[in-house]
Amino acid sequence: MRSSTKVDDVIDRVEIPEPDDPEAALAAVVALRRLANQLERAAAAQALRDGWTWAQIGQALGVSAQAAHKKLALKKET
Amino acid sequence: MLNALKDVRTMKALLTRAEAEAVQSGDDLPGPEHLLLSAIELPDGTASAAFGRLGVDPNDFRSAVDRAHRDALGQFGVAVSSELLSDLPGAEAPSGPYRMTSPGQQVFQRAFALAKETKPSLLRSAHVVVAVCEQDRGTVARALQAQGIDRERLAAAAREALAAG
Repeated sequence: MRSSTKVDDVIDRVEIPEPDDPEAALAAVVALRRLANQLERAAAAQALRDGWTWAQIGQALGVSAQAAHKKLALKKET
Repeated sequence: MLNALKDVRTMKALLTRAEAEAVQSGDDLPGPEHLLLSAIELPDGTASAAFGRLGVDPNDFRSAVDRAHRDALGQFGVAVSSELLSDLPGAEAPSGPYRMTSPGQQVFQRAFALAKETKPSLLRSAHVVVAVCEQDRGTVARALQAQGIDRERLAAAAREALAAG
């Protein structure tokens, strides 16, 4: 399948950090968490534009609708 | 008494902006880097002046933080499009009491303790600079290193800015 090939391509490029360089590995952990949060926010915003409900977004993320809304509710435009 | 009132105002401004910085960048809670970004914007100007004394534009610190995170991922072959960062939708700042990461709390408490030691005993933004410079690991240390800024020199510049202003 085309989509799984794409995922494989991405995973192939990620080298698992060597534990003998903890500073670089720990910095990567921090950056990955931040990246995951950014991706989560961007994807939730797109899902809302596509008509998803908070319940659906919560299901996709493995959390409740309330938890998804609390974390990802968009700033009201002023 | 008046100083205590001013301190409360400064703390509120510092923490509110740090929280907004964390939300905007996608971090769960404000940490030292968000406190420093917030301090640079505080109106007393001493944090900003500390960078100025080293001949560095204080606004460069923001891009240095982003670069430090990108470089950390890049070392392991993860490339992040800068569009994801720039197009990030805004999020509501959390309501309720202020929360911070543990290193963030340490910076905040240390800055407050430093303020008590100086005359006048008033919390100013450069106290935050001195406090973050004391942490030798983490995003601030990495970002400053990437900027070629020595933390001890920045802390010294912050103390000078406090003495001058």
